[in-house]
Amino acid sequence: MDRAERLLDLLALLLDATEPMTWAELRDAFPEDYGSASDEAAERKFERDKAELLELGIPITYVQGDDERKDGYVIDRDAYYLPDAGLTKEELAVLYAAGSAALASEAFPGRQDLAHALRKVAFFAGEHLPLPRVRVELGDFAGAAPHLAPTLEQLWAAIAARKLVQISYFSPRAQAVTDRRVDPYGLAMRRGVWVLVAYCHLRQGIRTFFVHRIRSLVMNQAKPRSPDFDIPASFHLDDYVASQPWQFRIHPPVEVTLELCGALAKMAAGAFPGGKVSRTDGGARVQLQATHLEELLRYALSLGKDCKVMAPEQAVAEYRKMAQRVLDAHADAHAEGAP
Amino acid sequence: MSDVHERLRRLLLVVPYVSRNPGVSVDELARALGATREQLLKELDLLAMVGRPPFQPDDYIDIYVEDGRVYVDLDQRLAKPPRLTASEAVALAAAAEMLRPNEGDALHLALRKLEKVLPEPSRARYREMARQIDADPRGPEELVALSRAISQRLEVEFEYFTPDRNATERRVVRPLELRHRGQWYLKAHDVKRAEERVFRLDRCRDLSVTQRTFAPIRTTERSMPESVTGHGEVTVRFAASAAPYLRERYGDRVRSAGGGVVDLQVSGENPRWLVQWVLSFGGEATVIEPEWARRAVAGAAKASLQSARSCPSS
Repeated sequence: MDRAERLLDLLALLLDATEPMTWAELRDAFPEDYGSASDEAAERKFERDKAELLELGIPITYVQGDDERKDGYVIDRDAYYLPDAGLTKEELAVLYAAGSAALASEAFPGRQDLAHALRKVAFFAGEHLPLPRVRVELGDFAGAAPHLAPTLEQLWAAIAARKLVQISYFSPRAQAVTDRRVDPYGLAMRRGVWVLVAYCHLRQGIRTFFVHRIRSLVMNQAKPRSPDFDIPASFHLDDYVASQPWQFRIHPPVEVTLELCGALAKMAAGAFPGGKVSRTDGGARVQLQATHLEELLRYALSLGKDCKVMAPEQAVAEYRKMAQRVLDAHADAHAEGAP
Repeated sequence: MSDVHERLRRLLLVVPYVSRNPGVSVDELARALGATREQLLKELDLLAMVGRPPFQPDDYIDIYVEDGRVYVDLDQRLAKPPRLTASEAVALAAAAEMLRPNEGDALHLALRKLEKVLPEPSRARYREMARQIDADPRGPEELVALSRAISQRLEVEFEYFTPDRNATERRVVRPLELRHRGQWYLKAHDVKRAEERVFRLDRCRDLSVTQRTFAPIRTTERSMPESVTGHGEVTVRFAASAAPYLRERYGDRVRSAGGGVVDLQVSGENPRWLVQWVLSFGGEATVIEPEWARRAVAGAAKASLQSARSCPSS
């Protein structure tokens, strides 16, 4: 019998049962599948089926009997059926919009899980759901797109099962690929780019990896149902992923003060997320911590003259040097060898 | 994930869907389940063979297609879908994170309600796994409010900063679509300008959703402007240190200029963007031509240098 068919038969049988079913009864009910082989082989087959049902979220359990009832397997109907979560139309619409945007983005970890979740959630929805249009595009990296979706899917599976993975990781700086064995702790998306945070066995520490730079990935296939590692309780994904370029953990943190004037001052909070903004006479002051000062200075330079670097001295000096470098490179167009 | 697992998940949704939508067309059902028509017909064949021992005629699922429509007469207690698994709930929550749920808003409430209907073992797993996936919760706070405004067609007002004019202006818009590309944008019909515009949400301030509704508007499928296409009249040259990252990002659009440096052609249609973009490379990018673009970058660098805080050491 087709395995999917047997599992559904088993489910139908247990959902309908009014009392626990013993192993002997199950063997009688499925003589071809659990009855013919040796006791040990039949039991292994049933255990695998049971594990599959559990993975589907089907609450199959073995109950110890008492005076009233016998030992056996049961599926608790109340725990099986999806109850109506009572989502309002508005709640459903926004949830659905977010889910659909993630699915449409082509590379979202757990796509299949997400698709099923949306189908289940929509089950209780009425006919028509007014969906807000939301689209998410991922940071586009030439040539990376075809690998990105399957890599994310594999990482999702490895994270869920807590299995070690072997990755081939490309470094643009070195223009070389290194093989790493890592324990995948988590995935984060920042500004459209997916980052893997993992314990790297080579570096013996937690490291971040851009998912689009993973050239190939193999999950440890041994003992698929038992985890290879534990994640420390103190682990927080957020401690390792930068949201802004100046937050990459390259150097010790530097406290930087910037002053914005003109209309830019009004937009200080939007321009420097996470910065502490205060009003000044002519504009706004932003204070923030940078662990990659150069990136902050580049960004400040790109905002133009209404963004001034005020402190520390080292940052002011580097900012000036940077602006001077740009000026020198563009000072004399004819000397630059333009054809 | 095994094929059987995927297949079973889909199969377990077929009977519930048909029970709820009797007479649904084969095509619509296939679409709803993310399957092809052929796959679905195969699944329906399989389901018709599913039943419970001792497999008397009434013990089978009775599901059939008649004139291209699907009906179920005997559901064998499979008329409702199974609960969400922990992974399904985490995937949903991760997607929801992108719209930045805030305490008390519709998205936040939806997630709370879903967590409540997770069975206990899955709930623990859900909480554990939820801290492992984080799809950018740092969007602007207004995302959920804007989603609501889009679906309920409510006008929105905000103060918008336009760098070209270095000024802010109050805008009244009819929101059409939220889009994330590196950052969040709102596509909307600008009431005063009577045309569709794209707004960067980080340049919006004091945003409020009004009670004024508007009639449906067809949004254009116009894609977002893309300046780094590998074509265009502006040639920008990058230092060798930046070249690997440029290649990673722009692939074949990047051309070698010898000695490790690389060139990229970009559009000069938006001079302000061009200057900002070149400056953001902090000296690793130089405009080669045309002359006006070189002058624009030089002018911006000079202005920044003049207004920069003077440095005691320099």
